[in-house]
Amino acid sequence: MDDGESLPTYEGLAAAFAKAKAEREKEEAQGLRSRTVDAKASNKQGELHFKASHGLLIAFFSWILLFHLSGIYLFTRGFLLTRLVLEQKSQCSMSPTALTNFYEPGSTDSGCWHPKSFDKAIVIIVDALRYDFTVPFQPINSYDKPHHFHNSIPVLYETAVQRPNNAFLLPFIADPPTTTLQRLKGLTTGTLPTFIDAGSNFAGTAIDEDNIVAQLRNAGRRIVHLGDDTWHALFPGYFDANLTRAYDSFNVWDLHTVDNGVSEHIFPLLHPSNTSKWDIIFAHFLGVDHAGHRYGPDHPAMTVKLKQMDQIFRQMIELLDESTLLVVMGDHGMDAKGDHGGESDDEIQAALWMYSKRNFFGRTSSKYHKPPSTAKERPIAQIDLVPTLSLLLGMPIPFNNLGAPIEEAFIGASGQDYKNLALVSRLTAAQIHRYQREYALARGLDNNARSSSLALWTAASEAWDSIIKIKKPSQKHWLEVFSSFSAYQIETLSICRALWARFDITSMIHGIEVLAAALIILGVYARGLEGDRTELTPPLLLRGMIGTVLGALSGAVLGFGIPSFPLEHTLVFCTAVGGGAGMLSAFWYIRRRLISPLPNTIWGWVGVIFTTLLSIGFASNSFTIWEDEILLHFLSTFGLFMLLSSLRQTNLTDRALGWYHSILFIILTRVSSLSRLCREEQMPYCKSTYYASATSSTSATWQLAIPFLIAFMLPNIIRSYYKGTRSYQGSAVLWIGFALRIGLLLSAAFWTMDAADDGDWFRGSGDALKTIKVIIAQIVFAIALAAGYSTFAWAAPLLSIETKSKMRAKDDGDPSRHVVSESGSSSITILGYANVHGSRYGLLITMWLLAIILVQKPMGGGAIGLLGWQIFSLFEIVDTNKLSNTPVGPLVLGLLGSFHFFKTGHQATLSSIQWESAFIPLKSIKYPWSPLLVALNAFGSQILCAIAVPAVVLWKQPPKKKGLLGDVAKAMATHLLFYAVINLATTMWAGWLRRHLMLYRIFSPRFMASAAVLLVVDAVGIFIAIGGTRLSFLSIAEVFGWS
Amino acid sequence: MSSTTTVTKPPKARPTASTVDILNNDTARIYTHIHPILVLSLYVFRFKPIVADPVPTLLNTLILLGILQVAYVSVCLPATGTASTPSVVKPGARKKPGPSKLESNVQGRIIPAFLSLLLSTMVGTPLIGIMLILFGAPLTTHFPHTFLCAAHISLLASIPLIYVHGVDGERWREIVALLLPIDEVFGAALGTFMGAWLGAVPIPLDWDREWQKWPVTIVTGAYIGFAVGKLAGGLLFKGRKISFN
Repeated sequence: MDDGESLPTYEGLAAAFAKAKAEREKEEAQGLRSRTVDAKASNKQGELHFKASHGLLIAFFSWILLFHLSGIYLFTRGFLLTRLVLEQKSQCSMSPTALTNFYEPGSTDSGCWHPKSFDKAIVIIVDALRYDFTVPFQPINSYDKPHHFHNSIPVLYETAVQRPNNAFLLPFIADPPTTTLQRLKGLTTGTLPTFIDAGSNFAGTAIDEDNIVAQLRNAGRRIVHLGDDTWHALFPGYFDANLTRAYDSFNVWDLHTVDNGVSEHIFPLLHPSNTSKWDIIFAHFLGVDHAGHRYGPDHPAMTVKLKQMDQIFRQMIELLDESTLLVVMGDHGMDAKGDHGGESDDEIQAALWMYSKRNFFGRTSSKYHKPPSTAKERPIAQIDLVPTLSLLLGMPIPFNNLGAPIEEAFIGASGQDYKNLALVSRLTAAQIHRYQREYALARGLDNNARSSSLALWTAASEAWDSIIKIKKPSQKHWLEVFSSFSAYQIETLSICRALWARFDITSMIHGIEVLAAALIILGVYARGLEGDRTELTPPLLLRGMIGTVLGALSGAVLGFGIPSFPLEHTLVFCTAVGGGAGMLSAFWYIRRRLISPLPNTIWGWVGVIFTTLLSIGFASNSFTIWEDEILLHFLSTFGLFMLLSSLRQTNLTDRALGWYHSILFIILTRVSSLSRLCREEQMPYCKSTYYASATSSTSATWQLAIPFLIAFMLPNIIRSYYKGTRSYQGSAVLWIGFALRIGLLLSAAFWTMDAADDGDWFRGSGDALKTIKVIIAQIVFAIALAAGYSTFAWAAPLLSIETKSKMRAKDDGDPSRHVVSESGSSSITILGYANVHGSRYGLLITMWLLAIILVQKPMGGGAIGLLGWQIFSLFEIVDTNKLSNTPVGPLVLGLLGSFHFFKTGHQATLSSIQWESAFIPLKSIKYPWSPLLVALNAFGSQILCAIAVPAVVLWKQPPKKKGLLGDVAKAMATHLLFYAVINLATTMWAGWLRRHLMLYRIFSPRFMASAAVLLVVDAVGIFIAIGGTRLSFLSIAEVFGWS
Repeated sequence: MSSTTTVTKPPKARPTASTVDILNNDTARIYTHIHPILVLSLYVFRFKPIVADPVPTLLNTLILLGILQVAYVSVCLPATGTASTPSVVKPGARKKPGPSKLESNVQGRIIPAFLSLLLSTMVGTPLIGIMLILFGAPLTTHFPHTFLCAAHISLLASIPLIYVHGVDGERWREIVALLLPIDEVFGAALGTFMGAWLGAVPIPLDWDREWQKWPVTIVTGAYIGFAVGKLAGGLLFKGRKISFN
């Protein structure tokens, strides 16, 4: 300044120089002029170096993704057992085998495959009726005293002993899981339960397999159902609408409503004037089960309940007519605490009792007249009910049945009718054989797996062929035939059990090991390396890859060489082991750069502790159910920590900005939390707000205001974060101020039309509306991804150059203005310099923000909008508190992503997947777009947060700062580490709690959710986020050069 | 009591806060250990009625807690502004003409104690109540429950803090930013908040216990945290500073 004043002639020169320099700068910034030759060569080298480092980084993270994929594959292979559901139904007229001269098939009036014995039946389920409740108490030691559950329901035992031809009582063994829903499937289809019945519809619970209820309905029988409403979820619309009474099964504290309701409605139906109105009654009592859940079995309330049941059955016996069969059974037992779901003896041992006014039932031996005193003697399987009931009522045996006919029901009152027994046994076995053949065909199985059962089938068929040649076969001959067919049935059942109902523990453990190894590698890479990660990635990747290839080779050799090792399993596991070993050697190679990955600051510890707490919580069903509230609590806590940390800052601007954004962050978190979709287990302490009501899946009309509000506010909010560093210029103006806003408006229009379509606001214009809204959605996608990516790829850094007189330029001390040249009385400043990386990369976040908001329902769009706001707030907080080197940013993004997963109308249950989001920009299912759209809807929040990760370390960093790419790698690794920990925890818990009551409802879906999230976040983090930094770094280097 | 600290606001050369010591007399030294026992006994004694009928019982208990806290601060703690001078009274200076002992007690201790109680109830309670809601307390229901819970936390944590540190803005920034060295007053406040935070843990569990209902666990956590924090702050961590980085 002094110079300028003392030498007025020089002033003109300085101004000219400044002007020239500004012009050159500007032209260079716009790519109009090339640089000098030297700089050009070194720049070229810098660019090459960057591209190589970047490519290796992508390769390294892809290698981690491969590791995750292998671990999840191995675990899933052993854990999620699948059974193919065959569509075939048994036909009355199509007997599974030739019936020769014994019977003419095809009439439901006389019996389809076998003469029927009863016209009508009353099938009663007493939920959780354990076998020892029904037999007299027998003390083992002299001091044993009967419990409250003993001797309280004697009617079943009494009738079986006093009138063995009218009744029998047997232990009735359930296949775990012993939950009512799974049990009802087994009791009506005759097959074994698995977690995923592949082919069935995920969203609905209705049984689409062949089953006895469907057979009865197809035969025109009128079916009445009374009691537990689970039946209606399984068999919607199967029951006579006038006579059926369903009751809520959820309230386990209510012992009497269901039972009283059932008995109130069942007795009038038994009255002779009403018996013509129905053919079959299914009645389901819940009181005993609820008494068990609430009080446990050894409680006076249980005595009361059992005595009530006793009374009901005595009354029923009196009212019954001769053509009606009465069946009473428990669907499972209960453990000592009165709960069930697992596979302990007490849980699987239920009771079965059948009664008829006619002399119908028999025993093959006089020893069997008394019912067994414990459930260990002469037990029958629950699936045996299906063929027994089918044949007694003249129905075909359901196609998928694996059970056997119950001896007592077919041997005749004399106990000598082995011919009948052999006939039904042959029919059942033949149906099983037909099913097995179809299953093997559908699944592409070879015959090796079932060679033993095939041999038994051949033997049984030969025995049959020989007996029909004998003129007058003796009882002994028939007994032989019966035994050979039942041997086939038993063998087939045990093969199927091995296929479907057993976890492959080895595979599960290998999966967990691989995931743990990946976690350690990622942990060391994220937090345990000193210095720039881009320097260390090449040796790590090289050794890791060599190990992987060697592992794959040895796996292939082992898998092909040793036939007892399953090929895919061996190959995948050996590949992972090789990769792990390779990485271990790589860590040894760079051992001087290793540091302890354990944190050494409060911030670091907070991150570790919160992640660990969350992971431990997934071992408890309650904490898993309430995960959304826990995440709210954690995020608020982080907000508070950030507030406290901001107040500690010495720089007043940092302090003010920090606490403002921290408070904003906390408030936004709480506001988002108002959007909820409750899962069933959260009731009654949770109120859903995501949809118009708890029973609908459409938005309320007022919610349509949300997308419009977002369209008006969100671009302004984002603009304010750009304006703070004067980065709101160049492409940002066009993109944020115009394209984003138009896109959001169109998205709001889409959801309005969607509501109009759903609500039929404009009668008759449904088709036109559908076409228009699909086109609008496609336009939004075009704006977000096509126009967005073009902008992102070609935009210059968000900078502009200002020449000012020196007096004014000096006094504002604003870091966003970078003074380039200070000669003379004017100075050249670059506006937007302070956040050149952050603002440039941030465009990518806003593009995806638009795409994700479109695929969310209005409420979810609001939540994602708030999430976007929170993400930008977080950048400011991380910057003002100087936390970009800590794990806070990536970790909070992980928590935010998980939190907003719930706020966009999802839960860790299969039923909360919003399948309809596949149809937002498409009219029909198109691969691969439809699954991608569902994923973008389901994991939108995690995707957005993963894309935001690089910006945490790029926000407000100087353009030429060294090692920025390494910082991006570190942040992304930390972010993935969070999800990897959650995934490993839920995987381990699901494996450990595989016999838990709540496995299928809570732990297994949570494991599946976290595995899917991990893979999605891996892919997004690698290809969209790290991939995106390539474009933004290149664009910035165009201006500032490679350092 | 506010006049002494707020009027004289030195621009930069403020002395950094030092730890607060118990008044140098036997009553104070003994009562400071009896106090947490009294507070906990009060809570244990009132626990069953609180579970049965939270709103009226929490209100009654709040009054008793206020009395206990006021007694504690006026017996044991140096009031704001007097922190550095209580023990340096020279032997000869006792006969100095001035306010009688009773009068000085009323002016120097009882009034500040009641002012602390007032500020804690009027300012602390709403702030903590809002914080509870931000952390996930019910937004549309249970208002009396939430704010009574906030009042208990506020009385436990902030009466001694206000009594000792006054209402100086800069000092309160240091308190909130956890920049103060730990002593029994600061430790008790930290403990109260951490206890209340941990008190949220058992709420979601499916144990179907009556005491899991809002806000029993939070209040319980706050009381236990107060006692533990006071003990740990006064003995274990005295003089230590919390460092974030």
